[in-house]
Amino acid sequence: MLIHPTPPSLDPATPPQTQVVALEDVSKTYGLGDTLVTALDHVSFGIGATEYCSIMGASGSGKSTCMNVIGCLDRPTSGRYYLDGQDVSCLNEQDLAMIRNLKIGFIFQQYHLLPQLSALENVMLPMAYAGVSGKERRDRAAEALIRVGMGNRLNNRPNQLSGGQQQRVAIARAIVNRPVILLADEPTGALDSRTTQEVLHLFGELHASGITVIMVTHEPDVARQTRRIIWFQDGRVIHPYLKPEDLKSVL
Amino acid sequence: MDIWESFKMAGRTLSANRMRSSLTMLGIIIGNASVIAMIGVGQGAQRYAAEQFQSLGTDVIFVITGTDNARRNVIAPPNRLVLADAEALATQIGVVRAVAPQINGSELVIAGNNTRRATIIGTTPSYSEVRNADVSSGRFFNADDVRRNARVVTIGSALSRELFPQGNPVGQQVRIRGTSYEIIGVMAEKGAFLGTNQDDTLFMPISTVTNRLVGQRTSPYGVAIQVINVSARSPREVAVAEFQIANLLRLRHQTTGDAAEETFTIRTQRDALEIVGNITRALTIMLAAIAGISLLVGGIGIMNIMLVSVTERTQEIGLRKAIGASQSDILSQFMIEAVILSLLGGLVGTGIGVGGVLLVAIATPLQAGVSLAAIGLAVGVSGSIGLFFGVYPARQAARLDPIVALRSV
Ligand SMILES: Nc1ncnc2c1ncn2[C@@H]1O[C@H](COP(=O)(O)OP(=O)(O)O)[C@@H](O)[C@H]1O
Ligand SMILES: [Mg+2]
Repeated sequence: MLIHPTPPSLDPATPPQTQVVALEDVSKTYGLGDTLVTALDHVSFGIGATEYCSIMGASGSGKSTCMNVIGCLDRPTSGRYYLDGQDVSCLNEQDLAMIRNLKIGFIFQQYHLLPQLSALENVMLPMAYAGVSGKERRDRAAEALIRVGMGNRLNNRPNQLSGGQQQRVAIARAIVNRPVILLADEPTGALDSRTTQEVLHLFGELHASGITVIMVTHEPDVARQTRRIIWFQDGRVIHPYLKPEDLKSVL
Repeated sequence: MDIWESFKMAGRTLSANRMRSSLTMLGIIIGNASVIAMIGVGQGAQRYAAEQFQSLGTDVIFVITGTDNARRNVIAPPNRLVLADAEALATQIGVVRAVAPQINGSELVIAGNNTRRATIIGTTPSYSEVRNADVSSGRFFNADDVRRNARVVTIGSALSRELFPQGNPVGQQVRIRGTSYEIIGVMAEKGAFLGTNQDDTLFMPISTVTNRLVGQRTSPYGVAIQVINVSARSPREVAVAEFQIANLLRLRHQTTGDAAEETFTIRTQRDALEIVGNITRALTIMLAAIAGISLLVGGIGIMNIMLVSVTERTQEIGLRKAIGASQSDILSQFMIEAVILSLLGGLVGTGIGVGGVLLVAIATPLQAGVSLAAIGLAVGVSGSIGLFFGVYPARQAARLDPIVALRSV
């Protein structure tokens, strides 16, 4: 199995075990010389197990970059990142793929469903990469779709579904491998206020069932429904622990 | 992701893009069909030629006047085979069973209102034995006819039908250069062989040809002849006979065994089979190579479409990576798509090729056949072409950075 033992506790950098996500002095730069862009500038923060938090900040402040690092889609240029107690900066491509598959659920603004597959097949996909047997895949995918309220649309293609419905299928796909954290980058950016509420309701339920939910949003109303807000500015975290009630002061 | 799952996924993707998939396969289909058809036709030609020579009989030896070298010169060498050479072979070589000298010509043959140009072969009764040339009705001329310079002929079956469409010509007359000849027999049907078609030929006693058509002295040494057809006493004695014939003829022509001086060429069935085998093999290889090029072009077509497909599907690739696909998963996904395209194209092409070969077999005397080896080769090759030309696009796909891929909206 890919999970290496946690670094020995002699290592002073070992984070507390309760933290699911721990960024330590993480920087991410793009380009070189004159075109150098610092997307993340010595960012450190932690997110505990079963937290429900949102990441906010101006456009270009590094939110998506941070999500990509947390989701193991991207590696930090420097600094350390512990996911579920494990230092993932030293893992190879194959192991990162497995972590993305089993520990992380991604939700995107554009849903990213495969058009040639039905809702059920889209949700079955992560399990196919996990090597789950066909029968179990089908059952679990149907279960996940029922959980997000799409039980009556199992065999529809994405182009036969509304935006909100597609996002529900995408959520089912994200949770079907029972991840530790759910990462959503502007999940409601393309939805109207009613479907936004439905999606947030789902997130609330998932959080209540024990999943850590991290969501990027630029809508204060959406952020207010989470328990904690992390505020980004110019690649830095300027408010790591903002209460929803205190959001007004930042705005 | 296991292999079976990957194949199902590739099937879904390819059938979602049916038009593009079939167009991609077209190149492989055409390439494969032509490989199968060309190899089939080539092998048919090979078999056909081999059969023609086999029907000669294993004991036949041809002594042909001149050499390949001399024939290239404009002026024919004076030292030709003559009738006396043939008589010498018959009387002085023990391992020879029958000898039939042959003079070739071409004349207008008139029967009533019908006129045809026909090949005339002047020979002796032994010809019928040496060359397995039988009559279907009437008789071949005999030694008596030769001695008497009899004005009798035996005609080929096709010539007979053209000159006497109404029926049996035996007993009827034909005119050649103002002289009438009686038809005493019709040859059995045999078909074309080495450029001459026995069915279109008129056979005449050799003495009749020399006395009434070409003349008695057509070379400084007597009556020039083109070929001496010899049959050895047994197939095992062909080599001995060949040796003795060469020696005797060199003595008579006062030449050494030097290639430059040689006045005749000896061919046996084995030589002929070898030569024809070489020619038709070369032909088959050439045909297959030409067809192979179209297979190659088909493979490049697959690579091209797969590259387009990788570019078009960057988002899909990014998404798959985000939900846990490893590089090898993406690599095998695109490889499998390429292999399915080329294998499927290979199978369809094979079907079309086999159909084409069957058509050729029905419509022509070539016994064009489809060998399992050819099918195996073509399908194997197209599968490998898919693998080979799929690698590059698949690697491009596998190496895509998921973030860049997801960003490209
Ligand atoms: N692949 C990349 N190449 C170059 N610059 C990038 C890349 N990704 C992000 N950036 C830059 O990094 C900064 C942070 O981007 P991002 O994390 O997408 O911001 P946000 O999601 O907060 O709008 C921006 O200035 C952006 O232009
Ligand atoms: Mg962003």
